[in-house]
Amino acid sequence: MVSGKPSNLKSFKNSRNFNFILIFLCLTLVFLGKLDLIAIRNVKAFLSDFLAPVTYAINKPVKEIAGVFEDVKSAGSLREENIRLKSEVRKLKVINSKASSQELELLELRQLLKVLPEKKNNIITGRAITAPGGVFANTVLINAGEDFGIKVGQPAISSLGLVGYVVNVGLKTSRILLLIDINSMIPVYLTNSNWPAVVQGQSGKLLKIKFLSSKAEPIDGEVVQTSGHGNRLPAGINVGKIVKSFSGKFYVAPTVEFHRLTYISIITNKTSQPFFSKTFDGFAPLQKPESSINLKGLNLSGKRVIESLDN
Amino acid sequence: MTKHNKIFYYFYKLSLSTLFFVFIFCLLNLQTSLSFFLIFEISTPSLISIMIYLYIVKFNLNPSNIILLLTGFLHDIMIGNNVGTTSIFLLLFKYFTYSIILEKINKKNQEDWIYFTIIFIFSFVIVLLFNLIINFSIPELSPIFFHVGITLILYPIINTSINLFSFVSRLIKS
Repeated sequence: MVSGKPSNLKSFKNSRNFNFILIFLCLTLVFLGKLDLIAIRNVKAFLSDFLAPVTYAINKPVKEIAGVFEDVKSAGSLREENIRLKSEVRKLKVINSKASSQELELLELRQLLKVLPEKKNNIITGRAITAPGGVFANTVLINAGEDFGIKVGQPAISSLGLVGYVVNVGLKTSRILLLIDINSMIPVYLTNSNWPAVVQGQSGKLLKIKFLSSKAEPIDGEVVQTSGHGNRLPAGINVGKIVKSFSGKFYVAPTVEFHRLTYISIITNKTSQPFFSKTFDGFAPLQKPESSINLKGLNLSGKRVIESLDN
Repeated sequence: MTKHNKIFYYFYKLSLSTLFFVFIFCLLNLQTSLSFFLIFEISTPSLISIMIYLYIVKFNLNPSNIILLLTGFLHDIMIGNNVGTTSIFLLLFKYFTYSIILEKINKKNQEDWIYFTIIFIFSFVIVLLFNLIINFSIPELSPIFFHVGITLILYPIINTSINLFSFVSRLIKS
């Protein structure tokens, strides 16, 4: 039944102007927050550290109950799951035998071409404290912060692929912006055709593909990985697979299941470098490449050289 | 004597406000953690708007603006939202509830589900538009529709459960 005390109505009328002032204050704060001021970022990090135990305590029982429900649900389909897993194991065995022979070949080719060895990543793993919920924001808080050398911009991964990247760091906690957030943009490439693109979150299940060449022809199910462009994220991390919508548009479905995230690893030796360093003096014209031995018929940039023209 | 009564009254008010603050802060956290459930994987329902509506309309209480503001701030910080977004939603929700329910509409009216729908959609759309302007990008609409839909479905369920609970407790007392 709809009812209201006259006294409440009277007090509401008195506080109406105050209500508007507070809404205006919030609007100002939203804009200030969008400016990404260091002071606001520090306050956010401090409060996140301070409130993390409370949030963890509230989230924990809900997570456990959700886990029980999921277990009960999966217990009903154990037989089908077993059959599916058996066929998957058979497929994986075939792939494994092929991969091991190809790995040897790859190692030999690497030695032959004198490819520079890849730098090993330092990884710190933390436990997700909060759920990735929220209509307007998709972030997760983990229980590892500055103490463990985590910095803003470092990539966050799980066993399945890229989760997102660090956007705020406190002493004990770090906030990770998930791939699916509307503010997240990741440089990627299509593994079959090698076309570079950028994927943007839409606060939903799928990622939008941006800046993909009109010549590119994505294939349904094609794997998408980070390209490493801009030196922000390491190359070759799984992002997702291409999916075709009913309208014929292509999207990327992330490989990571965000609602099941428990442990998240941060690659700590990868920090987004500022484009202009402190010693930056300005742009200089490109230097002529030093003469060196190249592959026959190719110049330094890998283009074909017609010998008669050079001579 | 009057002075002591005043102090007691202020303490009473303060304790009520603190309790309300703790309650809605926990509720907001619970609302976010519902995304662990497979059913709420896309989006979680807005339990806080249901509770505030019932708090105002059913229990005839006036939630303090400052408490709504602070809880919204803390919640935004915890989920990594733009600080102020949840506060704007809560303050707008309170404003619309008072202006539509207590001022414009006849108090004998029974259709509070429709009024809840109008108030919730009004406040949500304003905040959504504000977010669109800030992000310069249109989000996927399915989680938004799910959020609105599941909240509107849950309202009568929670309302009926509270009614049933109060009916049973009165029955036991009598």
